Amino acid sequence: MIMSRQEFLIASGVRGQTLEFWLEQEWLIPERTITGMTFTEGDVARARFIQDLAAGMGINDEGIDVVLHLVDQLHGMRRVLARLHDEVSGEAT
Amino acid sequence: MATNPYDVLGVSSSASAADIQKAYRKLAKKLHPDLNPGDKKAEEKFKEVAGAYDLLGDAEKRKRFDDGEIDASGADQPQHHFYRDFAGADDGHPYTSGAGFADFMDGEGPFAELLKRSQRARANRRGADLHYRLAIDFVDSITGGNKRITLPDGGALDVKIPPGLVDGQILRLKGKGAPGTGKGGPGDALIDVEVLPDRRFTRGGDNISLELPISLSEAVLGGRVRVPTPTGEVTMSVPKGSNTGTTLRLRAKGAPRHGGGSGDELVKLKIVLPNSPDPELEAFVSGWGKGKEFNPREGGAS
Repeated sequence: MIMSRQEFLIASGVRGQTLEFWLEQEWLIPERTITGMTFTEGDVARARFIQDLAAGMGINDEGIDVVLHLVDQLHGMRRVLARLHDEVSGEAT
Repeated sequence: MATNPYDVLGVSSSASAADIQKAYRKLAKKLHPDLNPGDKKAEEKFKEVAGAYDLLGDAEKRKRFDDGEIDASGADQPQHHFYRDFAGADDGHPYTSGAGFADFMDGEGPFAELLKRSQRARANRRGADLHYRLAIDFVDSITGGNKRITLPDGGALDVKIPPGLVDGQILRLKGKGAPGTGKGGPGDALIDVEVLPDRRFTRGGDNISLELPISLSEAVLGGRVRVPTPTGEVTMSVPKGSNTGTTLRLRAKGAPRHGGGSGDELVKLKIVLPNSPDPELEAFVSGWGKGKEFNPREGGAS
């Protein structure tokens, strides 16, 4: 589901000002179109994750930057691993 | 959730609010599913911890729990997807970074190839193309010109309208889209140009058409008339004996062609009688014998 900025703010419970800061930090990178930004459910889940880090775990902005950087790399690695797994098991059969 | 929330967080029932928060944060950092993307059990454990904290982290709820008014089952967390469910999706996710294995990609061989194919790094993401709409006057679409689009963020985009632009044409401004990150260049601005209809001109290919009203005298006797064109008025000769529907051609006054040159302006004449009946004209036509013999609905006159 693709949502507008407004819909994203409602779905994620993020405040407009907070979103601006996150965009500036590139913690969220929505697609930009004629009508403005569009967000996905993945963006909402990522927003929840950031909220969990900030409010839930008390991690400050510097820390969140580091965590997201590492988590993004971790998912990159996991994707490679998944592909490697597919190729290896594909060869085996 | 039936387990005692104090046990879940590992605190005593007399723990202070600060201790409870501290205990929760310690567990959350370890158990959050998005910090453990490969651990399927993390979600269950985290939800238990989050549920316990939801109850004990709120002074009001904690008191009601301690008084036996509510039990731990009320603390179940609403179901929601964690970020890892999206980041692991097959079609890739924009945030996923290949920076963690970039060094392995430098080499040759199947492994490096596989890594290269897997890389969808946010770090090198090209900026998105931005779409805009721009409405321009018909005359500007023929002659070309410069337009400025004001952007929602207060910026502006200067657009050069090429002469001869057609309605619905999309202009691409390279590098004027959203900025990319890292090595990914910016996207393009794509401008969907709408040509507003003109009450005088219509366009057919490279030619443009215009209906030009002329008087009966100009039609019968011929004469020189002023004709609007997209580049200004010009003088045109109306030949003697012109009729409604007679089309005259103004060479190279149409839309510029792609490879050079221009189409023509086709001027379709339309005889218009004076608004109020004229006794002199009536008297003349009454006495005009040949005029009565002529039937335009007969023969090849149509």
